[in-house]
Amino acid sequence: MAAWLVRRLAASIAIVFAVATITFLVVHIAHGTPCGPSEARPLAPDVCERQRVRFGYDQPLGVQYVKYLAALSRGDMGESFGLHRPVGDALADAIPNTFALALAALLIDFALGLALGIYQAARARRLGDIALGNVALFVNSMPVFWLGLVLLLVFAQWLRWFPVGGIHNPVLCPRLDSPYCLLDFLWHLTLPALTLGLVAAAGTARYQRAAMLEVIRQDYVRTARAKGLRERRVLLVHALRNALLPFITLCGLAFPFLLTGAVLIETVFAWPGMGRLAVSAILQRDYPVVTGAALVTSTMVVLGSLIADVLYAVADPRIRVRGA
Amino acid sequence: MPTARTLDRLTTRAALAGLVLLAACERRSGCGGDYCGTLVIAAAGEPDILLPPASEFAVTRDVTEQLFLKLADLGPSGNTVGDEDFQPQLAERWEWDAPTTLVFHLDPRARWQDGPAVTAADVAFTYDAYTDTLVNSSFRSSVRQIAAVTTRDSLTVVFRFRQRYPEMFYDAVYHMRILPAHLLREVPRDQWRSTAFGRAPVGDGPYRFVAWKAGESIELAADSTFFLGRPHLRRVIWRFTPDQQVAVTQLIAGDADAVEVLISPDNVQRARADTQLATYPYRGSAYGYVGFNLAAAGDTTKPHPLFGDRELRRALVMATDRGRLLHNVFGDFAKVPPGPMSQLWWIWDPDIRELPYDSAQAARHLTRSGWIDSDGDGVRDRDGRPLAFRLLVPTTSAIRRQYARLLQEQFRTVGVDVQLDEVDFSVFNERARAGRFDALINVWNTDPTPSSGFPQTWTPAGFGRSNYGRYDNPTVDLLVDRAVASAANREQARRAWRGAIETLNQDAPAVFLFATENVAAVHKRIADVRIRPDSWAALLRTWRIPADRLTDRDRVER
Repeated sequence: MAAWLVRRLAASIAIVFAVATITFLVVHIAHGTPCGPSEARPLAPDVCERQRVRFGYDQPLGVQYVKYLAALSRGDMGESFGLHRPVGDALADAIPNTFALALAALLIDFALGLALGIYQAARARRLGDIALGNVALFVNSMPVFWLGLVLLLVFAQWLRWFPVGGIHNPVLCPRLDSPYCLLDFLWHLTLPALTLGLVAAAGTARYQRAAMLEVIRQDYVRTARAKGLRERRVLLVHALRNALLPFITLCGLAFPFLLTGAVLIETVFAWPGMGRLAVSAILQRDYPVVTGAALVTSTMVVLGSLIADVLYAVADPRIRVRGA
Repeated sequence: MPTARTLDRLTTRAALAGLVLLAACERRSGCGGDYCGTLVIAAAGEPDILLPPASEFAVTRDVTEQLFLKLADLGPSGNTVGDEDFQPQLAERWEWDAPTTLVFHLDPRARWQDGPAVTAADVAFTYDAYTDTLVNSSFRSSVRQIAAVTTRDSLTVVFRFRQRYPEMFYDAVYHMRILPAHLLREVPRDQWRSTAFGRAPVGDGPYRFVAWKAGESIELAADSTFFLGRPHLRRVIWRFTPDQQVAVTQLIAGDADAVEVLISPDNVQRARADTQLATYPYRGSAYGYVGFNLAAAGDTTKPHPLFGDRELRRALVMATDRGRLLHNVFGDFAKVPPGPMSQLWWIWDPDIRELPYDSAQAARHLTRSGWIDSDGDGVRDRDGRPLAFRLLVPTTSAIRRQYARLLQEQFRTVGVDVQLDEVDFSVFNERARAGRFDALINVWNTDPTPSSGFPQTWTPAGFGRSNYGRYDNPTVDLLVDRAVASAANREQARRAWRGAIETLNQDAPAVFLFATENVAAVHKRIADVRIRPDSWAALLRTWRIPADRLTDRDRVER
């Protein structure tokens, strides 16, 4: 197990390094200039040139890359061209917001996906299963930003049940320092988290239904029923435990989906997270922020995947044996 | 099965939890009277740094306008010539010691918000910073005619100019916001763009900085001791959104009180349909045009194979029904400019001569020049070369993309094939600077005067800078120089400007499409809303919310 873990860790570090390198190269090779802070009033060429020199963008790409790696090894992700502050600080402000959104979406995804999957499996091929299956397919095939826009239009703009965007009420709750402000934060979180969570839950439900259906045909489930156990206990205690293995894999897969989905959702809902920061940095060709955001995202995805693998190994001894 | 007692216990607990929640939800309300208002402005985009010489963002200008004062500011007339129409800010008065020597006397009541008085040394320090190449301010060129700024005593500062010209006073006061020398002197100049001061500034204006939450908001609080009069709005908060559309939606949903500009006619209709909102039209500072590249794409030493031909450019201008295009895109919220100018400029004059819209004559011009459709494919050609070009447009601008499609159709009807190059803004910017385009749709946001912007965009002074199409006509240059530098008075300057623009119009280096008319929207509970077209938030300290229109949001104490 330890050797397997070390190998997985090494592979994870290599993946993060590769992502950092590829992002660095792509963003520097891409056309465009980091000299246009706004459309109508781009920087004057001489000002722009001095900025380029100051940030070292006038040097050959190889030199820039070596400097980038050297700085990275010291934990320095550079200084943002557009934000005029260290990339680490900008990301530190944004990451908790993205995590809060991803976590809330993950909760909705798993709670709803699991419940729907179990419900559908228990009523397989009946009206409820077919109707829910079609609804899940419909939601799952929707682009996440489009669902976000629809929810925003209906619940924020027309019905005014939720705020149009942002993370809190800047007048009443500038800080998260009271129960009222916690509620305000959750109120702001609801629509973006629902958007991400609903789309993910639709996929999770389909996986979970299939896993449950496979398990409830097994002999030990039939035995449990034959012993006279109630159907709820058979499903939730005996069948679900074994049907959860693919679910752990899904945990690992859901995290990247939620992080990439957050890029769009944060823009739609004006949520000040890493996705919005990255989009704005890409448009401005703010190289240090783009590479920093890619690095952090890839680290989180690889970590998520690693944790899922470890959990899987813990849950299923066969994997440990094969891996060892 | 729960018993009745269990149910009772559960109900009691739920009721208690509800009460606690309600108590927690109640906000303390306190402030009443004339100085309690809170204004939330929904803004597309966020400042990069709150240090005036180091930022070019419009939203930075709006925020720093409340934090840092100028020596004097533009008056309601917007007249930039002479000093009669300027209003005192830090300087209580001024006089001309000599034709090129201007003396300002600072108001002794002015104080930095951390205590010290604002002095002449601060003004000299600010000038030094704005002109320092290490600070790398993009306003450096705007103060290039000022030779020196020196102090006579702690409240008297002397500006010496290199030469005499009509807008000397404007150059001395408009671009520079005075900075606190005692807080910035120790910061190395090459580190100004990342200094901590830029994220928590100390100013001398009507508002003081409170907080900046990256990606979310900036909050300012009124300085109740402000020497030019206590601001009525107690708090001003900028709430940042990814784009203007989201900002407008927040306004209409009641999450914000004001937006600077509603952008599209559709948004204006939405705002006007909302009984809670009032709209305020004001002259826009932007103009947009199709610019032809007069040099070969990527090689400035050769003329462009198509647009090097003046007659062809004139034909294309005449083939463009600018009025119809404008109506389709902007409705009533823009005007067709009579040349390269925004509505903000005092030289705006609808009587300036320009080429008329006459597609029949345009077609005749093209035929006479040898451009005919010899193979019947709908596209004119000459010597085997089709009359076709690529139009560069940034994907980030819905308005320019809409214009591009409409233009493509209008040009098609006279046998000109236009292909669109839609690229993101940084690529657009890069290609425009490098001259790698045939034609582009560009927009310039202008200062209140043509004197700085016009030479940079339409004379050789702007080669390699903002004159992307490399337009060059010595007659225009001469007239512009006369208007900027040697006109004795406003009327003489106006005549010189008019001559320059009419000459340029005849050369047709561009099709001037629109000059924006802005419409701001502000919640009706806010009174005394005055907007200065060159800087919409410049008069914010005069806005107020009458006591009888205060809401809980205005009263809340924190």
